[in-house]
Amino acid sequence: MGKKAKTSRKGKKAWRANISTEDIEDFFDKSTKDALSGGNLSAASNDDLFHVEKSHDLPVKRKIEKHRERVLRCDSVLKKNPFVQIVSSSKPKSKKSKKTIVVEKERRKQAQKNVADDSEMVDLWGDDVKGEQEGNPRKIFKKPSIIPAVEVDPAGCSYNPTAESHEDMLAEAVAQEMQKVYKNELGPEPVPLTIDGDAINEDERYFLEVDNVSEDEADAENEVSEAGIRAVRTTEKITHGVLNKRNRHKALLKKHSEEKDKKRLSHEITSLPKILKEIRREDKEKDNKRQRRTIAKQDVLKIRPPRLGKHKYEAPPVQVLLTEEMTGSLRKLKACCTLARDRFKSLEKRGILVPSKTIRRN
Amino acid sequence: MAPKHYRPAGKKKEGNAARYMTRSQALKHLQVNLNLFRRLCIVKGIFPREPKKKVKGNHHTYYHVKDIAFLHHEPLLEKFREIKTYQKKVLKAKAKKNEELARLLLTRQPTYKLDRLIRERYPTFIDALRDLDDCLTMVHLFAVLPASDREKLEVKRVHNCRRLSHEWQAYISRTHALRKVFVSVKGIYYQAELEGQKITWLTPHAIQQVFTNDVDFGVLLTFLEFYESLLSFINFKLYHTMNVKYPPILDSRLEALAADLYALSRYIDASSRGMVVEPKVDASSSSQSKDREESELRLAQLQHQLPSSEPGALMHLVADNNKEVEEDEETRVCKSFFKDLKFFLSREVPRESLLFVLPAFGGMVSWEGEGAPFKEDDESITHHIIDKPSAGHMYLSREYVQPQWIYDCVNARIILPTEKYMVGRIPPPHLSPFVDNEAEGYVPDYAEQIKRLQAAARNEVLPLPGVGKEDLQDPQNLLYAGVMSRAEEAEAAENKKKMAAKEQQYHEELKLELKKGKEVVVEGDSDVVAESEEEAAPDAAKMQLADDDAMSVLTMSRKKRKLYQAMQIHNERKNEKVELIKKRKSKLNAVQD
Repeated sequence: MGKKAKTSRKGKKAWRANISTEDIEDFFDKSTKDALSGGNLSAASNDDLFHVEKSHDLPVKRKIEKHRERVLRCDSVLKKNPFVQIVSSSKPKSKKSKKTIVVEKERRKQAQKNVADDSEMVDLWGDDVKGEQEGNPRKIFKKPSIIPAVEVDPAGCSYNPTAESHEDMLAEAVAQEMQKVYKNELGPEPVPLTIDGDAINEDERYFLEVDNVSEDEADAENEVSEAGIRAVRTTEKITHGVLNKRNRHKALLKKHSEEKDKKRLSHEITSLPKILKEIRREDKEKDNKRQRRTIAKQDVLKIRPPRLGKHKYEAPPVQVLLTEEMTGSLRKLKACCTLARDRFKSLEKRGILVPSKTIRRN
Repeated sequence: MAPKHYRPAGKKKEGNAARYMTRSQALKHLQVNLNLFRRLCIVKGIFPREPKKKVKGNHHTYYHVKDIAFLHHEPLLEKFREIKTYQKKVLKAKAKKNEELARLLLTRQPTYKLDRLIRERYPTFIDALRDLDDCLTMVHLFAVLPASDREKLEVKRVHNCRRLSHEWQAYISRTHALRKVFVSVKGIYYQAELEGQKITWLTPHAIQQVFTNDVDFGVLLTFLEFYESLLSFINFKLYHTMNVKYPPILDSRLEALAADLYALSRYIDASSRGMVVEPKVDASSSSQSKDREESELRLAQLQHQLPSSEPGALMHLVADNNKEVEEDEETRVCKSFFKDLKFFLSREVPRESLLFVLPAFGGMVSWEGEGAPFKEDDESITHHIIDKPSAGHMYLSREYVQPQWIYDCVNARIILPTEKYMVGRIPPPHLSPFVDNEAEGYVPDYAEQIKRLQAAARNEVLPLPGVGKEDLQDPQNLLYAGVMSRAEEAEAAENKKKMAAKEQQYHEELKLELKKGKEVVVEGDSDVVAESEEEAAPDAAKMQLADDDAMSVLTMSRKKRKLYQAMQIHNERKNEKVELIKKRKSKLNAVQD
């Protein structure tokens, strides 16, 4: 490619390139826009732009009403005939909206209440309207357990019990106490934090270490000797005769085992009913076991809650008078228990509270 | 668009891991602290559960995810948060030593109500009554506890509990709904029947109720808060059914003398009759003697109008008539149980309990002290309740008995003879009315005596007066519940024989038919059997019974047979137990002799 010929920069072409025609183009744009939109708005006076409509100055609402008031010709024709009922095209809105109904109800309630008395309270279950509850998904609150809230003490816990029932209850109380004692005695002993004994002096420690070392060495020697024997065995030679013999023996063994398998199989086939019976029996046993377990679980739930936290529920001791405390007089009844503890334990027993072991300090 | 249920990465989709969360997870989820969470759970009635698989370990407490979601939507949660922020404001004002602002803020603290929750947990009134046991026991307990700063138990709350419990008792005794009373070591058990629901509650003995260290009273107080509002709504409803204004206005003088229950019953009497008692505002300021005269006068009026004492107030009777139609048999019995008796309580007797029990069974009571309806020297008093080894001055016109007599009478539903309950004696054992002796198999001696007395009381009403006494002395007869007379028994025995004979005949015929089926015809056999039967009917009947048992056991399905055997084993065990108790008793008797 040859070089482009150099031309002089002076001349018409260069001139045109350097003059901007933007302002002219802007003017043309503007003028065309104005022409299209109907005149220059900035130049127009206010009167030209806005004018106040005074002729039919009706509010929107009235306008709509006016529109409603107009009677269609078809309707007017029908109106002339007294036997024809007009069916209105649009339903008039009911004046009582939901809100007003609710308000009215409340007002009525208020009035009722005011008539009855001047208290702040309202009858919660006065209107047995179920509508409110139907929307509630948790309509039925399940009780956490089947244990009743207030368990009545057995007859032996009476302040003046019969001798027999009292003895019964005493026996139970004693059994409870003894159980605690036995648990302490028979349970595993806690690991002691310190062991008493003499301190080992330096010479003895040295001897101890020596003993350990000698044992280790002996072990090492044994290992070495075994390894040697194994190495010797691997190098033993096998002749063809021996190999054949071995193969024959292997084949024989295989044949025997096959025969045995066959026998076993045939035996199993013949004893199929027996096996089926056994399976059935096992199933039944399992089923029984499962049932027993569920029943046992339910029984346990009757006397104590499920394990809900870190600690197990511990039943409170039976509240029964000792034989010497039985006076037969209400006045001399020994004050031995607070009901607060009983309530607290009952809450724990019913699984409402999580049993805890924390005992507060004063 | 985001998926409907966004599940974070690593979160389980199903199984116990997804269905349960631990308590700390729940706390994080709800953004509350432990105290608030506990509070919410108690108020809302949400309890921990035991999942089948405890994913996080055995030492955690688990809650169901839906329970927690339920808590999350509780408006009360938001309210509690509001209260918390408000408390911060107060704290800030205090820290800036702006006492005035702090006081102002404290006066406008936001409060919350529990009525919506009560409605939610107990959709109907019956539901609420069904779950009232715990509520009543707790309120009665806190009514006797001492107010304590350390446990944050204010005097106001104790008084409120006292008021609520008295209102409840007043209603029960007014409607005569009380059925059983049992005094145990723990306290006094009451059972009432309201709208077909048996409500049992326990009230503590007034002696020595203290705060113990092993009880978290904060938790109990939260429960109490809920129960207080529940009981007040229930009382409101109950009082309105009686046409009595609910927060009752009490005679301040009686209230000051700690006779709230009496004041309440008077209030109910008055207002159910349409005459509202004006609260005496200036009871203490006006002259005391005049005041007393006035109250005594009005009291006399009221006593006159009491339907149990004087059926003169016709207007009241008319008003009451329609109510009495609704009453069941038992209520009527309870209403007129102590009808013509007048009681006077000594100082050392548990007054609160007896003031509740005696009017509940239609008795009239007074006590030693000011404000009592009648004095000790009233001639018409029939029973004087006393719990001392000896009474000082004794009136001949009345009987002096120990308080246990009342409880035993009420439980037995007969007026027991008072000799055993006299002053200074050790009364007979107080039996539990909650124990079913028949089911237990063992009947204590005293229960048997009471039964005999009951039978005697019933026999008086029966048109056979001659047989009744014999009946009592015959021990064999007592086996048949002591109700049947001898003649009736004989008739029954004959009937039984006839029935057995007929049965025998029927069986023989059946056998014959069977034999015919086997083409072995034996004739005249049935005649012989019938003849022999006439001679030894009882024996044959017994044999027949045993045979029948064996036959029915054979014909039962295996399941039923097993069940039957289990029942028999259970019965045997029970018998053994009874035997053991009897043996012990005989031993005891031997030792005592």
